[in-house]
Amino acid sequence: MSLINPSDTIERQNAKLLQIAQALMRKVEQKNDQSGISYAQFERAALLEVQVRERTIDLERTLDLLQESNAQLEAANRETATAQDNLSEAIETINEGFALFDKDDRLVLTNSRFCRYLRDVPDKLHEGMPFEDYVTAVSQSRYLALPHGVTPKSWSDIRYDRHREDYVVFNVSLSQDRWLQVSEHRTANGGTVILQTDVTEIIRLERQERDRMRDQQAQILQATLDHLDQGVCIFNHERNLVGWNKRMDRLLELPPQHSAKGLSFLALLDGLESELDFSVGFDAEMLRRWANQGAGRSPINFEVTRSGNRFLSVFGQEMPDRGFVISFTDVTAERESARALADMNERLERRVQYRTQELGIALSEARRANASKSRFVAAASHDLLQPLSAAKLFVSSLAEQLDGPDLRQIVDKAESALSSVEDIIEALLDISKLDANHAVFDVKPVRMSAILRPLRDELTPVALSKGLDLRIRDCPLTVHSDPGFLRRIVQNLVTNAIRYTDSGGVLVGVRRIGDRARVEVWDTGCGIAAADQEIVFQEFKRLGKTTSQAGLGLGLAIVERACKSLDHPLRLRSEPGKGSCFSFDVPIRQAHEVASKAAGRAAADGTAIKKGLVVLLVENDPQLANALIMMIESWEAHVIHAANGEDALQLLSDIQLTPDALVLDYQLGQGLSGIELLHRIRGDLGNVPVRLISADRGADLRQACNDAGITLLTKPIDREKLHRFLADVGR
Amino acid sequence: MPLGAGAVGTPVSALRRGQVAHTAENPIEDLKAQIATEPLALVALFVSAEADFDKTIAEAQEQFAGTDVVACTTAGEIGMSGYENGLIVGIGFPAAHFVSTSILIEDLKNESSQVLVDRIALSQVAMRDANPRMQQGFAFLVVDGLSLREDTLTAAIAPALRDLPLFGGSAGDGTTFERTLVSLNGRVRNDAAVLTLVLTDYRTRVFSIDHLVPTDAQMVVTEADPARRIVKSINAEPAAREYARIVGKDPEQLDQFTFASHPVVVRFGGTHHVRAIQQVNDNGELVFFSAIDEGMVLTVARPDNMAAHLERKLQDLGRGGRPADILGCDCILRRIEAEQTQLTHRISQILRDHRVTGFSTYGEQIGTLHVNHTMTGVAIYADEPED
Repeated sequence: MSLINPSDTIERQNAKLLQIAQALMRKVEQKNDQSGISYAQFERAALLEVQVRERTIDLERTLDLLQESNAQLEAANRETATAQDNLSEAIETINEGFALFDKDDRLVLTNSRFCRYLRDVPDKLHEGMPFEDYVTAVSQSRYLALPHGVTPKSWSDIRYDRHREDYVVFNVSLSQDRWLQVSEHRTANGGTVILQTDVTEIIRLERQERDRMRDQQAQILQATLDHLDQGVCIFNHERNLVGWNKRMDRLLELPPQHSAKGLSFLALLDGLESELDFSVGFDAEMLRRWANQGAGRSPINFEVTRSGNRFLSVFGQEMPDRGFVISFTDVTAERESARALADMNERLERRVQYRTQELGIALSEARRANASKSRFVAAASHDLLQPLSAAKLFVSSLAEQLDGPDLRQIVDKAESALSSVEDIIEALLDISKLDANHAVFDVKPVRMSAILRPLRDELTPVALSKGLDLRIRDCPLTVHSDPGFLRRIVQNLVTNAIRYTDSGGVLVGVRRIGDRARVEVWDTGCGIAAADQEIVFQEFKRLGKTTSQAGLGLGLAIVERACKSLDHPLRLRSEPGKGSCFSFDVPIRQAHEVASKAAGRAAADGTAIKKGLVVLLVENDPQLANALIMMIESWEAHVIHAANGEDALQLLSDIQLTPDALVLDYQLGQGLSGIELLHRIRGDLGNVPVRLISADRGADLRQACNDAGITLLTKPIDREKLHRFLADVGR
Repeated sequence: MPLGAGAVGTPVSALRRGQVAHTAENPIEDLKAQIATEPLALVALFVSAEADFDKTIAEAQEQFAGTDVVACTTAGEIGMSGYENGLIVGIGFPAAHFVSTSILIEDLKNESSQVLVDRIALSQVAMRDANPRMQQGFAFLVVDGLSLREDTLTAAIAPALRDLPLFGGSAGDGTTFERTLVSLNGRVRNDAAVLTLVLTDYRTRVFSIDHLVPTDAQMVVTEADPARRIVKSINAEPAAREYARIVGKDPEQLDQFTFASHPVVVRFGGTHHVRAIQQVNDNGELVFFSAIDEGMVLTVARPDNMAAHLERKLQDLGRGGRPADILGCDCILRRIEAEQTQLTHRISQILRDHRVTGFSTYGEQIGTLHVNHTMTGVAIYADEPED
């Protein structure tokens, strides 16, 4: 329904609206008189009510929030309380004393075990107590056993200093022999947890154990000392006797144990001095000075003779406590046996000297005998050859003048016999040369075919005459050897094979084994039993043959000596009844090597060795010396020769000249050896290039040369090696 | 804790409740037998307008000697079975759980509000101090329903109560609007009020139920006599006739039922308050139950379904624990509306089920306000709420 009654006239409606408007305006402007107070109050109250309700709602919401946060606070408080209870319970269950200080070093909480044994301390502990007060309280406790000379103040100062360290663990001694181990641990927020662990039991046990160990160790030590075969006495830092062993009693005849203890070292020494006889360079005064030295004594060692018949070796050493220990070893027996040994040694040496002289005489006699034998053989052979040649000439001319076949046959046989004698004598000459070590080898490249072919031509008829098949396989290799002796070796082996073979044949072949050529001579002869294989190489030994067919038995002896001298290892394989095989190895010269060496030598011979090079040659064998001198001088170098070491040294000192190179024989007769001589020369002149020459191929000499840094040239001397050495020196 | 009558299946009773027909031979004696089963801090009597109020009060003074007795006449009673008539309803507040202080406010027309406020404030402080255990409470006002001073009175006293929530009812005189009385401890007065401050260790909640919904129909008071709550003209027309035109009724047949079914309200912001029309006087003017003024805009309101609304609101009060008892001041217009819409029986049933006792009023007080066409009251919870 509208405010306006539509049935009214417009005028009426206007009039009514005007009145309505006026009423409303009066109301709005609060112009109503006192009679409107009631409604105004109602209106105000209603408006207030609205505001109050809104406020109330806000307030209630706030209250709800407050209650909620109160509830949360309460829950948090409860949790805190629970946590605190749990914490308290937890720390109460710890067996250690527990205290927590906050980051400001104020006490937060402790458990009941904390400071339990410091009975006057717990009452003073309270929450918020500064750490410093806690330390002071502990330091003043009647139950704290302060170390000697430490006041409560200094103890607490040290304790407080410790507190500043990051990690703290130390033991505290309490009264009634109780011990606490106190440790501090820093918490994450800078607080400190102090744990007190009662370690009394541990420390007591430890101490018992230590005492027990010490007793035991002392017993063991004393037993060990007593067990020693030496007298031992120990002095403390005040030089008083504190311990010794039983042996000591006997050695020094100390007074009984109880009265000796504490005796001063000087008193002991005074008492004994008159009986002691110190070894050279030491006396009682020096010993006193050593003992009186307060510290830093160096060990001393000397000998004394007591009462003239007991020898004591004395050894003194400082102990860690500035005392010292002296041990006495009775060396009387050793000294006496040493003296006896020295006497015996002297006697023996005299005998050795005497015997050596005897042997020297015998040796020189033997050498003389041997040399005269060789000379005799050589001279005899040489002298025999002349009449023998004459005899052969006579027999030849006799044969020409004879007509009868019987007579001719006899002459032929005589001629043949003479030829045999000639062969034998030549062989004897060879042997004597080889034996006397006078053979001079001319080692050079040799083509095997140059050896083998002539032998085939010569010996095939001999074999055919016995109905044997001789086959000599040609060989393209070039080897390194003395051509004359190589030919003689092969010849003797083939001749020997033919001689001891009745049927079948003889085969000669060369096979290559690495850098060596093995020359093998096979036969189908009677063979040689193992037991006889040694003796076939001895002179004048022949096996099961009639003289008619055989030579003197020098063939294999020559082979054996020549192979040895040329370093061509000789072997024999044989089976009785089947045949034998003699073989020896020769080093191979490769074809291209030969060429290049040849070229090299041409160059070297012409230019390489410096003209006027001075070479000291020490060789006691005159022939070898002559050969070497000729060889070296042919290279336009000068040679100073001495026959032995002593002469060489004398010569060097006379001429005051340093040679450019040394060539020393190792075996120089009775005097210095080559190596000894070299050391002497080097001592005077420094490092001069050197070659040592020797026929000795033993491992000992090689080792000695290696040790001395010397190159060894083995005899027979390799011409090229020597040339190369001198060429290097001159460069 | 003693059980109330017929307590089986219902919450433990907080109040001692009794009723008796005013025609009984010794009604107060009967009543005493019903409610004075234990020491009481306070007795409230709601006395039918048909009864002899002076005689009743005199008897009560005798029977309940030593106990504060607050009484008023009614426009109908709310008893054990809902809306009743011709009864004396008695409510006892057991001393074990309640303390109270009652103040008789006389000569409302001339009462100095400051003196009154001081009295109330002092009484409340004294009572609070003496009973720290009693945390909860309310202020219960009965006031002469024809005094025309309810608005001023509530506005004056509510601030003095501070956080103690105020509710109350205007004494009635059936539907005759001639004589309404209040009484405290034998003194029977008109133009007076009795304010009772109650503290308890029970949880309490003061409420106001209003089932009206404002409509678009509005009118402006163009002439009024605020002192006598008489609106003379509306929209510059004689008030009754213009009201009738607005609500679509015959001006000659306006009666209580019209007023009950077509209430008018004033609106402040989001809220509204009923300005109930008491009657049409001989001059064709409207007499109101509450303060009015010229320039006031009246909005016609439409009642919601009262029973459903009441049930819902009382259920709401029971959320988090059913009240043990409810003391209610129910507007006479609601009873008239219930009769008019044949809801009396249903409403009575709801009131009974929710253990509401009280009386029908000529107006209700809630907080600082005097309003109409509502039910105000206090719900008392005997058990701790399950929150």
